[in-house]
Amino acid sequence: MPGPPDLRLQAVVPPEASSQAGAAPGGMRLYSQATRAGATRPGRHQQFVGLLTIAPALILILSLILYPVAYSIWLSLLEKHSFFPQQRFIGLENYVYLWGDEEFWTSLWLGVVYSFWTILFQILLGVAAALILNESFVGRGLVRGIVLFPYMIPTIVAVILWKWLLNDTYGVVNYWLLALGIVRDPISWLGTDEIMLSTIVMSIWQFFPFVLLSILARLQTIPEELYEAAKVDGASALRRFTHVTLPQIRGILFVVILLRSIWMFTKFDTVWLMGEGAGAGRYIRTLPVYAYMRTLTYYQAGLGAALAVIMFAILIVSTVLYFGLFREEADIG
Amino acid sequence: MNRWRVRYLSSRALLYGGALFLVLQAAFPFFWMVSTSFKPPREIFAQPPAFIPQDPTLENFQRLFTATNFLIYFWNSLTVSGLAVLLTMAVSAAGAYSLTRYRYPGREKIAGLILCTYMFAPIMVVIPFFILVKKIGIENTHFALVLAFTSFCLPFTLWLMRAFFQTIPIELEEAAMVDGAGRLRAVIYVVLPLALPGIIATSIFTFILAWNDYIFTRILISSDELKTLPVGVQDLFHSALIDWGLIMAAGMMITIPALIFFVTVQRYLIRGWGAGAVKG
Repeated sequence: MPGPPDLRLQAVVPPEASSQAGAAPGGMRLYSQATRAGATRPGRHQQFVGLLTIAPALILILSLILYPVAYSIWLSLLEKHSFFPQQRFIGLENYVYLWGDEEFWTSLWLGVVYSFWTILFQILLGVAAALILNESFVGRGLVRGIVLFPYMIPTIVAVILWKWLLNDTYGVVNYWLLALGIVRDPISWLGTDEIMLSTIVMSIWQFFPFVLLSILARLQTIPEELYEAAKVDGASALRRFTHVTLPQIRGILFVVILLRSIWMFTKFDTVWLMGEGAGAGRYIRTLPVYAYMRTLTYYQAGLGAALAVIMFAILIVSTVLYFGLFREEADIG
Repeated sequence: MNRWRVRYLSSRALLYGGALFLVLQAAFPFFWMVSTSFKPPREIFAQPPAFIPQDPTLENFQRLFTATNFLIYFWNSLTVSGLAVLLTMAVSAAGAYSLTRYRYPGREKIAGLILCTYMFAPIMVVIPFFILVKKIGIENTHFALVLAFTSFCLPFTLWLMRAFFQTIPIELEEAAMVDGAGRLRAVIYVVLPLALPGIIATSIFTFILAWNDYIFTRILISSDELKTLPVGVQDLFHSALIDWGLIMAAGMMITIPALIFFVTVQRYLIRGWGAGAVKG
């Protein structure tokens, strides 16, 4: 940065600093150091103001996200009631217990099943829908707005909508299936046999617009000339997709699959609310739901934390593997 | 020639068919919710169900507003989301400005660290978060909720705002400062107006996250009069006989503010998404 503006900068620093010092504990000490050294070295001022303006964000993230993550690792080594202060250090006993816990393995498996199918169809539907909405047709703007809507509504609304649609006695889905003669007896969509399927379908409905939006944003930046050149060369629509579109969206696809996998594997509210009150909740008790129940139904905070740590470990290992497998895409992304 | 025409027409038909499917799958559940919320009980359980209420009534809404704490939940949701938006905007604008305009050791590391936390899901931190909040003594307050939402939005909003600030030429601010404006005034009058789409995208993202949140409110809030909509409405399910008319009316009332907010600022969201997605 050139000299003159920096000189003016110094004049601005004191009021800005005093107004923010309250928000950033420790800021005062930094500030006095900066004034002493800063009078001769403008670079210090730069550093000081820079650190001061990032401080609120950094403090919030460190204390409210990273500290809790670190604390849950410690918590997983304790036997602790969720609400009362007594606690006892028991080392790795929580993990040993979970290793032999059948419910843990079931929840891990259910979580994998749920994530796999929801991610697969979100990506397929999302990309297909993005390709459609990237073409020009009458009413495209309106369609775009409507399609994004399921992603924007509160999960509780999505859940009550689907529970009403799928209601076994009065639901409109069963009514249609019966009226069209597709089934003879009403299907118990929220019963033990079908609840996983219902939850998966509902989750795809709720979350594929995220994929759609991300892919669409990228599609719009692909230069039209690439397609025209391909057309001149006589490439079919399919070949244009595999040779022009796919290489262009590979980077963003890499990121989207990663984010969606992380979010579906740790998805709590959709699964929990779908299972609650349905009586068949046990058949969609995925890992996040199991962690929640251990902590807030059985009040075993230590075990709940151990489950959270295991989830976290699985995510880290899978992410590293994913980056290793798709190194090329990671560079583009 | 004719073959090309057939091919063109069939591809258009496919396109419109696809678009129609997309609209129906997204819109039908909402249509059904609206329709049910205006039906009297007898019609709600009628077979075959009618698409349009034959005898439309407002009694579901009336019951919602008088017999439940819905209006209190609504007001709580509004204040908590509004405060979370303000706090997130201030903190992420300052942070993103710092990440793009100042040079200091560890800057790139800080940016990387912040992006990494984007991966954390609430379920992984909510328990220790609860214990922490209890230690500080702010459990069962809206303040705790605002802090929770802000810190969970920050990784994404910082990323987004950083992408926007990067597109604003530094020379503009320098020109303003050469003309005698202080840094703060240059930021307020030059940088922030140019970053408006980013600020709007940030506020939409935060508002929706806060408005929709279930898990933080479920765990941090215990008194009924402090609950926000998602948790309050879930509790309507706990009665022995589910009052579908009432619940659909509640669902509609939660959806409307999000819908208005979303429709008015939608185009900024797509633009913001593009900026974030392309950079990432």
